Amino acid sequence: MTSYEQRMSPNSKVMFESLFKADILVLIKNRRSLVLGIILPLIILATTNGHKAQQRLGGSLLLVGLAITYGLMSTSMLGYALSIARDRDAGVFQRLRVTPAPTWMIMTSRLTIQAIANLIIALLVVIVGTSIYHLTLTLTQYAMVLAISILGGAMFLSIGQAMVGLLKSSETVNAAGRIVFAGLILLGLLGFSGVLGGTLESIATWSPVGTVMTLFSGVMNPSKWTGHDSLSLLVTFGYIACFASLGIRWFRWDTH
Amino acid sequence: MTELQRRDNSSILEVRNLTVAYGTKIAVDNVNLEIRHGEIFGLLGPNGAGKTSILSSIEALIKPRSGQVLIEGIDIIDNSQRVKAMIGVQLQATSFQSELTIRQIVRLYAGLYGVKLTLQRINERLEETGILNEAGKPFKDLSGGQQQRLALLIAVIHNPVLLLLDEPTSGLDPQSRRQLWRRIEHIRQSGGSILLTTHSMEEAQTVCDRVAIIDHGKLLTCDTPRHLIEKHKDDIRVQKVAHGDVTLEDVFIGLTGSEIRD
Ligand SMILES: Nc1ncnc2c1ncn2[C@@H]1O[C@H](COP(=O)(O)OP(=O)(O)OP(=O)(O)O)[C@@H](O)[C@H]1O
Ligand SMILES: [Mg+2]
Repeated sequence: MTSYEQRMSPNSKVMFESLFKADILVLIKNRRSLVLGIILPLIILATTNGHKAQQRLGGSLLLVGLAITYGLMSTSMLGYALSIARDRDAGVFQRLRVTPAPTWMIMTSRLTIQAIANLIIALLVVIVGTSIYHLTLTLTQYAMVLAISILGGAMFLSIGQAMVGLLKSSETVNAAGRIVFAGLILLGLLGFSGVLGGTLESIATWSPVGTVMTLFSGVMNPSKWTGHDSLSLLVTFGYIACFASLGIRWFRWDTH
Repeated sequence: MTELQRRDNSSILEVRNLTVAYGTKIAVDNVNLEIRHGEIFGLLGPNGAGKTSILSSIEALIKPRSGQVLIEGIDIIDNSQRVKAMIGVQLQATSFQSELTIRQIVRLYAGLYGVKLTLQRINERLEETGILNEAGKPFKDLSGGQQQRLALLIAVIHNPVLLLLDEPTSGLDPQSRRQLWRRIEHIRQSGGSILLTTHSMEEAQTVCDRVAIIDHGKLLTCDTPRHLIEKHKDDIRVQKVAHGDVTLEDVFIGLTGSEIRD
């Protein structure tokens, strides 16, 4: 037997570690998306502090929630989706796919890194936000804010995945990402400021940003958890299932 | 069976009745190929002939419309992970994450192929390839030829039994090209087999034991370069393009026509 044939197949743990390390390095080098995801929420916190807007927008904790939501939206829909689309355009995935690493592992590594980045953003914003507003949260509230952040992050990631699934080139993903991002921000802000009436108001409430914001407001008063809150939770899960399956079903590794 | 006998008789790669289609376009039309252990096999054909499509099917990057690919007798569809660990691949257009440095890329792929490399070993490999000075640079900052050399380094990082190279010498300077030829020969001597595509008839004649000429997805002919010339030198189409002694290039142009492909 030659030495070639004695070699064993690489084991999954080593493969995943290698992918994971590389993806961390990529995320760190790509600070722009991460920094944007942190700066944007901090701007929201800083500009709303002490203003009447705070009352109008539903109180300080809700503002923290809004800030987190926008941070998650920017890293997932602009950062994640665009980096996947660019790598796909360049053929990075094709090279990875001819290695023994299964494709689910390539994607899982990317998504896991992004989920961790989301959690870091959420933690940072909660800490900064509560100290700016002099809020004291109970441990349960902290945990709930983080849990909702994870859920919200998953939803925006799945929207990002749906975008790279349905759109081919990185230019279209980039353009669509910005449009959807701006649209959701507007919908969220206007929806919660109450200037919209009727139909638009309810579209805003049940939009991806709206459901997450409803959940954040539910946390402020966990004892008064309403049916509306539960329904928002359900709708959020629905969004995740729907966008994720779209994004996985239609995803192509190669655009050529 | 002894190792030597097995080498001589059995094939490392078998492509059976392979047909690849993109929508309605048939890119590969019922192609059969067999590559023996220790063989260097060249796939020749004009642009768009279907060479990359054949390789992509072997690499399980695309799903053929019909046909079968066996590596060491193992069906690649049923055992794709195991087979992928056995083959080394250089794609016609390779790209790595542009944010990673060369050294980080080597480390990533070593891990993906389950190869343990110390920093010193990595540097040695980069040195051999002539890109040690580039080790800290991101992939996108390398010249085209340097990128190609890295792609080739990655392709052989795990000493694959079968090496698939898609136009490996395109973009390389004459020195690197010769170095690659020596490497290919070295890989063969240590038990590997190589399937490569090329547009260089000189390369095909110098390094390949056997070559196949394909066009419009169909395999036109397949033999050693010398036998191909023997076999087709009296073909009227070959005669028409030959000046003096018939060369492999004359055979190629004679069989595939003189017009330029789109
Ligand atoms: N993803 C694709 N979608 C549609 N058509 C494709 C695709 N890839 C290749 N083709 C077509 O299939 C045919 C064969 O392409 P292939 O890339 O296999 O040729 P090739 O022999 O490698 O050419 P070259 O020497 O230019 O690399 C061409 O007509 C090409 O246009
Ligand atoms: Mg090709």
